[in-house]
Amino acid sequence: MREVAVIGVGMHKAGKFLDKSLKDLGQVAIWNAIHDAKVNPGDIGCAYFGNALGGAITGQHMVRGQVVLRYAGLSGIPIINVETACATGTLAFREAWICVAAGLYDVALAVGVEKLYLADTAKSIRAMATGSDVDYFGDLGFQYMGMYGGNLRRQTGEKGKEGGMGWTQELFAKMAVKGKYNGSLNPYAQYQKRMTVEEVLNSRVVAYPLTLYMCSTMGDGAAAVILCAKEKAHNYSSRPLVTVAAQVTRAAAFVDPRRQPEMDVIDETPSGPTGRDKVAYEAYEIAGIGPEDVDVAEMHDAVAPTELNSYSSLGFCDRGEEKEFFESGRSQITGDIPVNTSGGLAARGHPIGATGLYQIGELVWQLWGEAEPRQVAGRKKQGPKVALASNGGGVVEGGPAAMCATILKR
Amino acid sequence: MSDQVEKKRIPVREGFFHMPESAEDEPYLIGSKCRECGYVAWPSRPVCPACVRDDTMEEVALSRRAELVSFSVLYQAPAGFDFSIPYIQATVRLPEGPTLFTMVSGVEARADALKIGQEMEMIVDKLREDEQGNDVVSWKFRPV
Repeated sequence: MREVAVIGVGMHKAGKFLDKSLKDLGQVAIWNAIHDAKVNPGDIGCAYFGNALGGAITGQHMVRGQVVLRYAGLSGIPIINVETACATGTLAFREAWICVAAGLYDVALAVGVEKLYLADTAKSIRAMATGSDVDYFGDLGFQYMGMYGGNLRRQTGEKGKEGGMGWTQELFAKMAVKGKYNGSLNPYAQYQKRMTVEEVLNSRVVAYPLTLYMCSTMGDGAAAVILCAKEKAHNYSSRPLVTVAAQVTRAAAFVDPRRQPEMDVIDETPSGPTGRDKVAYEAYEIAGIGPEDVDVAEMHDAVAPTELNSYSSLGFCDRGEEKEFFESGRSQITGDIPVNTSGGLAARGHPIGATGLYQIGELVWQLWGEAEPRQVAGRKKQGPKVALASNGGGVVEGGPAAMCATILKR
Repeated sequence: MSDQVEKKRIPVREGFFHMPESAEDEPYLIGSKCRECGYVAWPSRPVCPACVRDDTMEEVALSRRAELVSFSVLYQAPAGFDFSIPYIQATVRLPEGPTLFTMVSGVEARADALKIGQEMEMIVDKLREDEQGNDVVSWKFRPV
């Protein structure tokens, strides 16, 4: 397996675009990436197209990638459709990486596109429930927001009792404010308006303790990344080389509640009794680093407050110290381990099939030093060198249906 | 001509729970238990995930009582459930092990309506109606 570099990133702003199709969104992201990579489109050897709900929302159940890429002028190459709910974009990246690393092609495209927004939100909510076993979730009135709200409600309990962490709704609002602030510095973010804690708390309650502005809402968008064999990257890019140091993707492991009674099953983070994100730690090991080496990270905040759990599950602080970690400012853009500089899912938006690539794209810009005005300095103030993307998708008993961790190095 | 068609009670899922046939008949969840390692699953499944064997799972009736793990009051609903806003969606844990989602009945849908860890009991109750006007019923839990 040879080393693979990223040579181009392209995005379409996340937002509500009733008048744009999957084709429109995809074409913009793809060509932004092609121009950014300075690559001849004919050099793209294969493409991985990520999309989760194109069938449910637009009716395009089959051949989505082929249809969208043809509109963007690409055909005749292997085009593979991939899906793992909210981790779809990362899966497209993973497959494109493997394809180049294995030596099949020198240049590969990973693109994720999603249309989620319908004037009738209830329909979108219903479609999103298919990210779980439909026998279990379908048409029973269950919704993800109820699960996220319930888990956080539990964590507002007294620290140490019944899964409580001593967190407050006000702390949750502060997480949302951070996201919105970062989003205001990101031209591709769905939400670019800064907010106050008061505004977040006064927005309508979605699923207590979650208010509207704490949640990622319906949005459309597209993001694309072009990968190239490291040994050939100089043909296209004169930027500092950013390579894939690790990519780990796993379906949630079976959890035996008899052996792990303390674990918060049906939780967003696959943390278990050790509190660690197993997939992230596997990626750290492959990349030969530890969490203390990460300069910048994107994590999967389906609702802004869950970023708190990631501080410990990704190893940036110990379990139980997330609140202090946040309040010390370390995860802000100016901190030593900035998290979700893009605004995260809650502010940047969460067009499901594209999210993983929005995360990776943001990290690549950070590593290239092209992320002003939200550019981070890196732990050693020499520019960031190591970036981590943590992306989960779907829900099954015991946690996310799929969990991914990607480490990029400059 | 009036259509006095009898309204039916239809379970939202087959095999997930026992539908009481009379007032004295109690409802319960139906799961499967591995006769080798004792692992209990709900809903039922043919393969024991602990043993990874397809020849050891047997159908079992589960406890009607459960512990409340988490809950949230919802102010938005998926298509077909608008009538129920606000409602409580919860996670409960059965003594045999399985953790499951459930709607909550018997309390007003408020943030302070329930206490994490409290005991809940299973009932079968109307979830929604189908196009023919029949009652679609489901497992739900209410405070003991």
